[in-house]
Amino acid sequence: MRDGDMDSASPETPPVRLKGVGDALQVTFDPRLPELTLTDEMVRLFTRMGALAQGARVVLVPDGDGDHSRLVDRLAAFISERYPVVSAGASGSTDAEINQRIRQRQADEGFTRQRSDALVMAGRVRSGQKMEAQGHLVILGDVNPGGEAIAGGDILVLGSLRGTALAGQPENHQAVVFALDFRPTQVQIGEFVAAVTNRGRGGKPEYAHLSGGSIQVDDYMKNHPFRGLPWPEFR
Amino acid sequence: MDGKIIVVTSGKGGVGKTTATASLGAALALEGKKVAVVDMDIGLRNLDVVMGLENRIVFTIVDAVNGKCKLKAAAIRDRRIENLFLIPASQNDNKNAINPQGMIRIAQKLKKEFDFIFMDCPAGIEQGFENAVAAADEAVVVCIPEVSSVRDADRVIGLLYAKDITPKLVINRIVPEMVARGDMLSHEDVVEVLSVGLLGLVPVDDQVVVATNTGGHLILNKESKAGAAFKRIAMRLNGCPDLPIEVPYAKQGFWKKVGNVLTKNVI
Repeated sequence: MRDGDMDSASPETPPVRLKGVGDALQVTFDPRLPELTLTDEMVRLFTRMGALAQGARVVLVPDGDGDHSRLVDRLAAFISERYPVVSAGASGSTDAEINQRIRQRQADEGFTRQRSDALVMAGRVRSGQKMEAQGHLVILGDVNPGGEAIAGGDILVLGSLRGTALAGQPENHQAVVFALDFRPTQVQIGEFVAAVTNRGRGGKPEYAHLSGGSIQVDDYMKNHPFRGLPWPEFR
Repeated sequence: MDGKIIVVTSGKGGVGKTTATASLGAALALEGKKVAVVDMDIGLRNLDVVMGLENRIVFTIVDAVNGKCKLKAAAIRDRRIENLFLIPASQNDNKNAINPQGMIRIAQKLKKEFDFIFMDCPAGIEQGFENAVAAADEAVVVCIPEVSSVRDADRVIGLLYAKDITPKLVINRIVPEMVARGDMLSHEDVVEVLSVGLLGLVPVDDQVVVATNTGGHLILNKESKAGAAFKRIAMRLNGCPDLPIEVPYAKQGFWKKVGNVLTKNVI
């Protein structure tokens, strides 16, 4: 499997790759290659970077699984000796640190710098009318029977949903359809379709989501899908 | 005179547009307004039959729009109700015989001649609908308490809003007993979906069939509940928008009473 991977990957994927992650430089390398090839590649990359590497924190990440800590240490020492970086070392706890810093920064900035791709519409979508959004679609109002709401992401109806809702088009399986009064004619998430036969009297907030290859409707207040998230995420 | 053009439409056929047009026209004429009712259902005209004026048609709205006759020549005076005129549709043309521009032109003349002009819109949302709403100032959407009718009315309301016309709703053919039993949509259910101003509620009434078949005016029949409801709707259109809406109610226990009377007599 590894050989196959390597064969298919080697023409496009260079053995050593460099990218900025947070405030560190992440060096990803293929631990199966001879150490000499790796050091040569690193020399080539760092030489090209020149002064940019000065004062940088370098994180070494081996491709694939397995314990390569010795190789990482040797390579870290190699880089620290030859280039004016602040530190070089393995990832591990560093990743967690980076994540923590990213989350902290997001919280500090109050999410103001993030832009969500959502279309917010107010009013009533009547029979024969269609509301389409590339990203998420929020409707402050009702969707009447015969009306259609289509979105690349989630569909949130702050009112009564009685028409058709097509979320996650064409194939976003994470999308949900939510309505304060959930009585749709039909719901689609990605390519999955659910015809709603027993629409009941509605009147409570429910949402539809994909679960085990079929669309499932749940009470939003009792069991909403975002309860398990450890941290507020952009959606 | 600067009249008002009101289009009576529904989307779905057979919900009572023509009856509503004839009744509202007659009711407003009885209140002293000069009223024209215009049949826009070209090729499938009905309004003339309902009003009993079929045998007097010489010219039609198509002739008037296309300049083949004067507007006054196409308008047939109703001999029973003063100030009520019918402009009939042509039976041997199709909906493309006139166009919205032609309707807008003739509308200017109609507004000069009449206080109220009711356009009886054909079913559907094609050319005939476009012609009928082209010059309309207001719209009355007729709907019956059935899911299919509500769906079509909703579509038409969307199209009317797109044309910057705010529609008002008439719910026709309500059977109060069925509503009370929960077998029929109540007017609240309908209004909840359509969410437009309610103009009136009309109960189901056998007299409508009688009037339609005989070419008589429903409004002139004092026994008719539907006629009374249309009268109230006409008053709301004619400057009394706050007139309370009467909800048709089920006479609960009526048959029981009859049963009791019969039982007593038998005993």
